[in-house]
Amino acid sequence: MSLLTRSAAKVAAATPAPGGRTGKQAPTSGYSRPSLTPYLLLLPALAALLLFVYGPALLSLIGSFFVIPLSGGSWKYAGINNYLKVFADPLIHQAAWNTLVYSLATIIPSIVLGLLLALLMEKMGRGSWLAKTALILPMTANMVAMAVVFKWIFAFQGGFANQLLGIVGLAPVNWLDEADTSLFTVILLGLWRATSLCMLLFMAGLTTIPSSIHEATAVEGIRGFTKLRTVILPMLRPTVVFVTVLSITGAVQVFEIVNVMTKGGPLGSSETAMTAAHKVGFEYFRIGEASAISFILIALLLAVGIIGRPRRTKETP
Amino acid sequence: MTKLNKVHTALATTLGILAAALALFPFYWMVRTAVAPAEGLTTTGLSLIPVEFDFSNFTRAWDKANLGQAMLNGIAVTLGILVLQLLTCIPAAYALSKFRFRGAGLILGLVLACLLIPHQATMIPTFVGLNLLGLGDTRLGLVLPFVTSAIGIFMLRQQMMAVPEAIMEAAETDGLGPLRTLVSVVVPISAPSIAAFSMLSIFTHWNDYLWPLLVARSPAIMTPPLSLAIFQNADTGFDYPALAAAAAIVTAPVVILFLLAQRHFVRGMAGTEVAG
Repeated sequence: MSLLTRSAAKVAAATPAPGGRTGKQAPTSGYSRPSLTPYLLLLPALAALLLFVYGPALLSLIGSFFVIPLSGGSWKYAGINNYLKVFADPLIHQAAWNTLVYSLATIIPSIVLGLLLALLMEKMGRGSWLAKTALILPMTANMVAMAVVFKWIFAFQGGFANQLLGIVGLAPVNWLDEADTSLFTVILLGLWRATSLCMLLFMAGLTTIPSSIHEATAVEGIRGFTKLRTVILPMLRPTVVFVTVLSITGAVQVFEIVNVMTKGGPLGSSETAMTAAHKVGFEYFRIGEASAISFILIALLLAVGIIGRPRRTKETP
Repeated sequence: MTKLNKVHTALATTLGILAAALALFPFYWMVRTAVAPAEGLTTTGLSLIPVEFDFSNFTRAWDKANLGQAMLNGIAVTLGILVLQLLTCIPAAYALSKFRFRGAGLILGLVLACLLIPHQATMIPTFVGLNLLGLGDTRLGLVLPFVTSAIGIFMLRQQMMAVPEAIMEAAETDGLGPLRTLVSVVVPISAPSIAAFSMLSIFTHWNDYLWPLLVARSPAIMTPPLSLAIFQNADTGFDYPALAAAAAIVTAPVVILFLLAQRHFVRGMAGTEVAG
């Protein structure tokens, strides 16, 4: 996902908004005679997108008004009952709050750290490719595997984190089984992963800044923080917007690390929107309510995506 | 190079190494735990550098987590998805980059809008739909929702836009039809992007957890992340070396692929960038 979005970021910086047109887009020659060929070429992909992207988005809206038996059988119309139940459910309240905390605690630090690391990689001497490889690796990691490893690092007995605390003379902490620390521990893993993604996107963004800009600022004597603030950051604007949108959608949809590390516990202290939706749907078998949560999430994140979608930028030549 | 510059570089290098160490530590700790003897682990903890080695953790993990079956399933599902995505994305990207036709703008808009629809959040409704079709707990169900990829269409389209019109004209003059041109001209030129997208697809679907968790109920069709999660749910509780070994086995294929193909990958991405 990371590396994919990385290219999208670069391209996004230079391409117009969805549906927009540029002169480049229409070939001046080639297969421009009216024919069925392009439609046939597009048919499988479009059918799949309608069925598996637009379909589910719509189905979450429809399903949210019904009581749905998981085993099949007829749906029963329930009006806005599912929404009323969702909004009254203390589990959902806690999940919403935790998702907000998780998002704030991972998004902002990972963007700042990611930018700093990307800038750092440009300053590093020989061997920077090694550091880059190491810093990109968290992006390829299997998050279930990493959640298992983090669970062990933060184990009460024998865990590395408590060993470190022991060295400085502090009492061991029951990281994952205490309501005070469970979400924090999950956040650490989320941050480890998200920082890698942000760094990657910023590294891609920085390569689009032409070297003439660096030469010009050097001649003018613009350096350090001033250069970052007045030259680099404004030029990185499209990347910053893109990274922010991706970070928000990624954080709000966090699922596997919570599911594996804490199951949302103890006492819901690390429950997030997606783990709650999964629990409501597949442990309590209230699929209609799970659909309602899904639809609320999709609508929210779609709004974030639309607000932050790549736009035609003036700086692009 | 002034002295100050050298100090800066040295400082940056030190910080870079520190950051890299933090990024690598979980991987290191996974492998380090996977080779540690299982006895007494939770009372004494582990030293930073291994002294004693025990490789039997890997065989124990392989058997108990049913990883043999899971790895085969993972390979089948990941490659199945990859092949289907290439078969749907390449023609779609070709149509959107090299043809002029009514509705092209609208269709491109439909594809790009998919990039904004959150992936994980649509999984539960997708499952509800799949269940209506009676495809829950089937291998087909694991693959079906991913037969195409909006980001794949987008990436490949960007690359194909860069195929010069002169080459397209030459192919037409030589009497190549649209399909022959795609297969023997456009696809070879777009190979770097196709390779890069293939890697992305493999990363995403090898690592996917939520979808298999919803769909796969019978052990025979479970994928590696799911088997690993179930292995750690079972009362393996404190058998951390076996858990770490299982985690390492599940992580390894993708990390190795990334390390081997990193350069091609970056080049493929660079191609995409130029096309933009």
